[in-house]
Amino acid sequence: MGLLDVLRQALRTLAAHRSRSILTLFGVVWGTASVIFLMSWGEGVALMIDRGLMKTGKDMGQVWPGRVSEEFTPAADRRWLWFTDADIDFLRRRARLPELLGAEWWEWLTAARGPRSINADVRGVDPEVLAIRGVPVAAGRSITEADLAHRRRVALLGEKARQRLLAPGEGVGTRIRLGGQPFEVVGLLAHVGTQLSRDRAEIDEMIWIPITTAQTHFPAWWTDEPVVNRVLYRMRDRSLRVETETEVRALLAERLRVGATDEEAIGIFSSVEMLEEIQVDRIVGVLFIIAVTTLLVGGIGVATMMLDAIHQRRREIGLRLAVGARRRDILLQILLESLGITALGGVLGIGFGVAACAGLARLHVEDLIPLPVLRPGIVATAVVVLVFVGTTAGLLPASRATRVAPAEVLRNE
Amino acid sequence: MSAGPLLELQGVAKRYATGRTAVEALRGIDLRVDRGEFVALMGPSGSGKTTLLEILGCLSLPSEGRYSLAGRPVEEIPADGLAKLRGEEIGFVFQSFNLLPRLSALENAELPLVYRRVGRGERRERARAALERVGLGGRERHLPGELSGGERQRVAIARALINRPRLILADEPTGNLDTTTGGEIMALLAGLHAEGNTVVVVTHDARVAERADRRLTIRDGRIAEDRSTH
Ligand SMILES: Nc1ncnc2c1ncn2[C@@H]1O[C@H](COP(=O)(O)OP(=O)(O)OP(=O)(O)O)[C@@H](O)[C@H]1O
Ligand SMILES: [Mg+2]
Repeated sequence: MGLLDVLRQALRTLAAHRSRSILTLFGVVWGTASVIFLMSWGEGVALMIDRGLMKTGKDMGQVWPGRVSEEFTPAADRRWLWFTDADIDFLRRRARLPELLGAEWWEWLTAARGPRSINADVRGVDPEVLAIRGVPVAAGRSITEADLAHRRRVALLGEKARQRLLAPGEGVGTRIRLGGQPFEVVGLLAHVGTQLSRDRAEIDEMIWIPITTAQTHFPAWWTDEPVVNRVLYRMRDRSLRVETETEVRALLAERLRVGATDEEAIGIFSSVEMLEEIQVDRIVGVLFIIAVTTLLVGGIGVATMMLDAIHQRRREIGLRLAVGARRRDILLQILLESLGITALGGVLGIGFGVAACAGLARLHVEDLIPLPVLRPGIVATAVVVLVFVGTTAGLLPASRATRVAPAEVLRNE
Repeated sequence: MSAGPLLELQGVAKRYATGRTAVEALRGIDLRVDRGEFVALMGPSGSGKTTLLEILGCLSLPSEGRYSLAGRPVEEIPADGLAKLRGEEIGFVFQSFNLLPRLSALENAELPLVYRRVGRGERRERARAALERVGLGGRERHLPGELSGGERQRVAIARALINRPRLILADEPTGNLDTTTGGEIMALLAGLHAEGNTVVVVTHDARVAERADRRLTIRDGRIAEDRSTH
């Protein structure tokens, strides 16, 4: 039997059971499209979470000072801690696992432009912080070492901060006031969108100025030292998250003379940790199981239709055996027919699934709505599952077909 | 082709189990058919003619006794070997034709070649020749539904002879046909016999049986009469 004969017979079987074929094919098409769509969607969810978490900075860790924990000191003696430039210099010299280290100063200040005035999230940063955050500058320039050295009063505006503070048409070169001090807008940041970071701070709403300027013009009331509110770093290797945190905490603890494992004194948070906690693989796995189950149900449809067809074709099978077909010829024929029907539904299903993914991917939606991301591996997986389903669905009908006794079915009716 | 027993049966019995009772369709058949014989198998309805022919054609196996085909005991032949026998050595013609309704006359006739892995071109060629032989040249593309009863049986005969089998078995090949058409079919079978093939025909019709050179009558699953007429 040629492959064409088999396909033709598969079509005949379908034609002979028209209304049932439609249901059966629908089952396979639906199942296949589900596999493609749900798996692509799972991929999209994973990518969305990853991107959302990485928006505050790829593989970034944030370090902030806290209070000495009760484990390390009597309750009455718990002191508040803060970082200074000297601590950061020390960390820069000694830390091996971070790839980049930056210092960030942080305050809520009144920002004003003419009569307009808002309460703004102002960050004093160095160029390293900007690099770690990875936010592109859409217009103008970034903050440079020269700005830091000369403590220039220059500012970068996040997209939302610009919209709220500046009038339409205003941009680079506009003069604004921060905490009463005059600043010049030298750059505008590109749109970032919703982040999945823990502090819920939106980069789009921030205003960035040189950290030295911030330390000089808005000094801390409790000390004369230049205060740093937060250390940001980018780890060399995502898989070394824990080791990096341990190293950074131990070095800062040495400087601040607190316990090397005091997590309350030196708090560290990495978005990678959240990624580990969310267990994206499980979400994707559950989606895969749901999708494959749908396809298996479609396979059951194929199997019952084939069983029925075998019953109606007893005479044909008996005759084929009578003219020299071996049992395995019959087995192969039925298996191939089952695969043929499954393939027909599968091709349609892959078509629909891919079209649905492509159609949705073209939509422009909010950051936090995941869109399906189709990968070749997903189509390959669908094909593998289809072959499995088609073969399995054909096994019972095929084995029943080989049990036809020619003498019995070829008798006169 | 040497003369000698092509078929040899010793104490062949066939039992059908139907529910609680068992039917004894054949009860001890001893029979020997030589190469080149033309045998008519007669007997009342239910006497076991079809059952015997099915055993001869390896479509079913005896419940008891021995059956040897061309010297080989059939019960010792593995399933694939039996399939090969059915395809190459035996041509079976059924009373109810048993053509596949969705295949053309040509496709029906070439079916045994499909399972012998004969190429498409040669298959077509030989099927066309076989149809020509049974007088159906020009009907190759007809579906069985578009053919008369006699024409259908000719297609079935073309199918039976396409592999040039040594043994042709026909179960009431004229039973569903009128006398004239039946005569033509018998002439075809006689022609195959004349070429040296062994032919066994089941029939109710004495005039049909007259064409054979040996007449077997079977009653109640036993051979009641065995007469050579030539
Ligand atoms: N599959 C079967 N199951 C049970 N009994 C059967 C079966 N096939 C045949 N028989 C019985 O075996 C006996 C012989 O049947 P068979 O068909 O061989 O007779 P026959 O001589 O060909 O009859 P006819 O001339 O009517 O075709 C009958 O009694 C029949 O009822
Ligand atoms: Mg009969």
